[in-house]
Amino acid sequence: MNKIMYLEFERCIGCRACQAACRECGDHDAKERNFVEYVDFTESRQTFPMLCMQCKDPACARVCPANAIQITEEGVVLSAMEEKCIGCRNCTFGCPFGIPKFDFETNKMYKCDMCYDRTRNDIAPMCASVCPSDAIRFIDFEEMQQLRRKRTQMNLVEGKKPQEGNKWDYVPEFFGVYTDSQS
Amino acid sequence: MNQYLVKEGVKNQIRKGEKLVSTHCCYCGMQCGMHIRVDEKNNKVVGVEPRYDWVLTKGKMCPKGVTAYQTIDHPDRIKTPLIKKNGQFVEATWEEALDLIESKYRGLQENYGKDAIGVYGGVSMTNEKCYLVGKYARVGLGTRYIDYNGRYCMSSAAGGFNKTLGMDRGSTLPWTELEHSDTFFMAGSNTAECHPTSIQWFWKAKDKGAKFIVADPRETTTARLADVHLDLLPGTDAALANGIMHLLIKHDYVDHEYVRERCNNFEELKEMTAKFTPEYTAKITRVAEEKIIKAAHIFGKSPRSVVMFARGAEQQTAGVDNVSLYTSMALLRGQIGKFASGVATFTGQGNGQGGREHGQKADALPGYRKIANPQDVEHVAGVWGIKPEEMPKEGVSAYEMFHLMQNKTIRALHVICSNPVVSSPNINYVQDSLEKLDFLVVNDFFMSETAELADVVLPAATWAEDEGTTTNIEGRVIRIRKVVEPLGESKTDWEIMSLIAERLGKGKYFDYNEPREIFDELRLASKGGKADYFGVTYEKIDEQDGVFWPAPTEDHKGTPSVFQERFATEDGKANLAVCDFKGPSEVQSKDYPLWLTTGRVVYHYLTGNQTRRVDFLMEQCSEPFVEMHPELASRYQVENGEKVKLSTPRGEMITPVKITKAIRKDTMFVPYHWGKKLSVNQLTSPALDPYSRMPEFKVCAVKLEKLTK
Ligand code: SF4
Ligand code: SF4
Ligand code: SF4
Repeated sequence: MNKIMYLEFERCIGCRACQAACRECGDHDAKERNFVEYVDFTESRQTFPMLCMQCKDPACARVCPANAIQITEEGVVLSAMEEKCIGCRNCTFGCPFGIPKFDFETNKMYKCDMCYDRTRNDIAPMCASVCPSDAIRFIDFEEMQQLRRKRTQMNLVEGKKPQEGNKWDYVPEFFGVYTDSQS
Repeated sequence: MNQYLVKEGVKNQIRKGEKLVSTHCCYCGMQCGMHIRVDEKNNKVVGVEPRYDWVLTKGKMCPKGVTAYQTIDHPDRIKTPLIKKNGQFVEATWEEALDLIESKYRGLQENYGKDAIGVYGGVSMTNEKCYLVGKYARVGLGTRYIDYNGRYCMSSAAGGFNKTLGMDRGSTLPWTELEHSDTFFMAGSNTAECHPTSIQWFWKAKDKGAKFIVADPRETTTARLADVHLDLLPGTDAALANGIMHLLIKHDYVDHEYVRERCNNFEELKEMTAKFTPEYTAKITRVAEEKIIKAAHIFGKSPRSVVMFARGAEQQTAGVDNVSLYTSMALLRGQIGKFASGVATFTGQGNGQGGREHGQKADALPGYRKIANPQDVEHVAGVWGIKPEEMPKEGVSAYEMFHLMQNKTIRALHVICSNPVVSSPNINYVQDSLEKLDFLVVNDFFMSETAELADVVLPAATWAEDEGTTTNIEGRVIRIRKVVEPLGESKTDWEIMSLIAERLGKGKYFDYNEPREIFDELRLASKGGKADYFGVTYEKIDEQDGVFWPAPTEDHKGTPSVFQERFATEDGKANLAVCDFKGPSEVQSKDYPLWLTTGRVVYHYLTGNQTRRVDFLMEQCSEPFVEMHPELASRYQVENGEKVKLSTPRGEMITPVKITKAIRKDTMFVPYHWGKKLSVNQLTSPALDPYSRMPEFKVCAVKLEKLTK
């Protein structure tokens, strides 16, 4: 798998189809593992999605005393193995993005696994599949790079040039989430 | 037969022991493609899989679509006929229910004439069923009183298109072309929430630099994407469109050759728009002058533009004028009938397009034929096997049917696929009208607010339990596949209508074994009409990703783009709209000093009878709310989440406040998906557009009150 989960925050229309779809993934127990939030509803309707970054050196797995969070050969950081998770919630504190969720009834953590049963067969995860706005995409590495270049080009075409101090205004809504092992 | 359709190279996840059935969503006009997952062992629906290769939607779905399958095997499903005895519903057999219906219908018609029974249809069902509702009313029951919920949805768009272009196809172009357009002028549509999967096409265009102009009193999720947001006062679209046309003429953005050759009324339009200077337009619409000017220049300079609108502009007493005027903007720019340009309305209901074409409307017969036209009657009577003189006359519009229930002209009503005590304006009156009936029959698969009032509820099958066709937002006829057998004792609406017709001695006109036979009859009935389906077949739909009507001959491939050569008017020319601004029927007063408008949220569909039963959707949005600007909230000293009272002369509601700057300071918004005390339609205005008979849902004057403890 040499695919990227690619988030473009600005595009999010707040429909939460990604969350409804997350529940539909076979291994997800009808519980969604992604997030959609308003930036500030009083100011505007802008929302943004948030999912697991599939970190290369995942804090969640590192802080797990039971070694319950496995990393696949492709680099996908899986949800805790049920039989191993001891419910200590370290992962929920360790993750810098607030991604792992905790089920207080079963006393287990659960998190985004990039729909591993789909992605390992090169089928897009449910959230990226349904997102009407392409705010979440599952694309090739090269396509991501192209998109990033294009965005800057569009800005230049529109006569906007980055200045010292605002360069990030030209790319900030892009967020690559990817695994880098080739298979 | 394999019902899973997939193009080469496209992968889906198919789990062991499961099969996929390819179909489309049951909700809005986007009709997103989807595969339904079925457990092969017990034949139960277990989930959904994206249909990546469906040409219009590419596997994308909104949360309603993702969860749609959950309504099929839902615990709330009505599984047997129900008969009300002493105010309580008791389960009954089909025999008992049909016996009762037969005796009531016969009795009432003998005493009060054929027209004592009315039929109230809907368009969230297949073409086959929609078509049959019209025939059921006119042949099965022999009544003139039939209308349908599309009256509250598409009638103004239809009226406006017919006046200007001579034919009502919701979109003059296929939407797969939208990515090549360079400007969208969108009025009264929050497409990001109401037709979410359309947004991918707008982004595709925007990524190439297309511009977006959105006219809406709220800075909706859609308006947020706009280059210019025209935050107009509700009910002032006519002024805005005239104002834009004034500037198109002033700055010579008019395509003179096109207008000369293809349009009437240019001089009259010029005269009418003369007074709509930016200053005058701004005074009426309260949109800043410079925004109007900027929008006109963007739109005027654009070589390929699409003008789009939805209920915001249409659900007004000037709905037809608004549609005609916005359409005229596209005509002045010479856009209609060309690549990646044109005009379109957003069809609200799944089959809002097809359902309005084939004779559910009070004055219409299949194929957009008219009851008032003797040749049309002759053609359809011929297909139906009745004498032309047996064809009932034209009836009245949906809301006007309630007046006839009040005065006892209509004594029994059969509601099929609709929930008028939630969806109508001024529902307190509507409920009272239904309560005055001697007999009410409702087909539904969930106990709707309307079904609760019924004497007999007949358990209908869901969209996944029957096959047929729908016509999507573009005018593309597509196939809905049967996924599972109807649950319990439920039956499809077409079977129900056939059974009742049989009881009334009309069985020979309704002798169908499967929907395909009804479709074949529809093809003949629509043949030669404006919405000509003769060349549409189930096979062709599968072969070529749907068929756009008109398709007049068997070897015709359909017509993705219409009006390329001529318009469907008598002289082949479009009629530019010459309409002054009239204003909404209700204006602010001392007692009702604010404006109220209504609309959808992304999580719910129509009256919510389906979506209010889906956990995920209810978790996101379980009750209505009133959106208001912080400045307005401050004036009334109300806080976010606090419950307030809203009232109009027709009714009142108590609902929590949601504060956001993304709305005009003088306007409040309440979504309409709930019934009874939670319904904003207790408040809305029943004033009708004189031409389309569309109620003015989108504008009324309202009072806001802080509740005292
Ligand atoms: S599906 Fe896409 S647009 Fe909708 S909430 Fe999720 S990320 Fe945002
Ligand atoms: S859960 Fe958090 S720490 Fe773990 S991989 Fe995902 S983003 Fe990284
Ligand atoms: S409701 Fe409309 S946009 Fe949502 S999935 Fe269904 S057809 Fe698509």
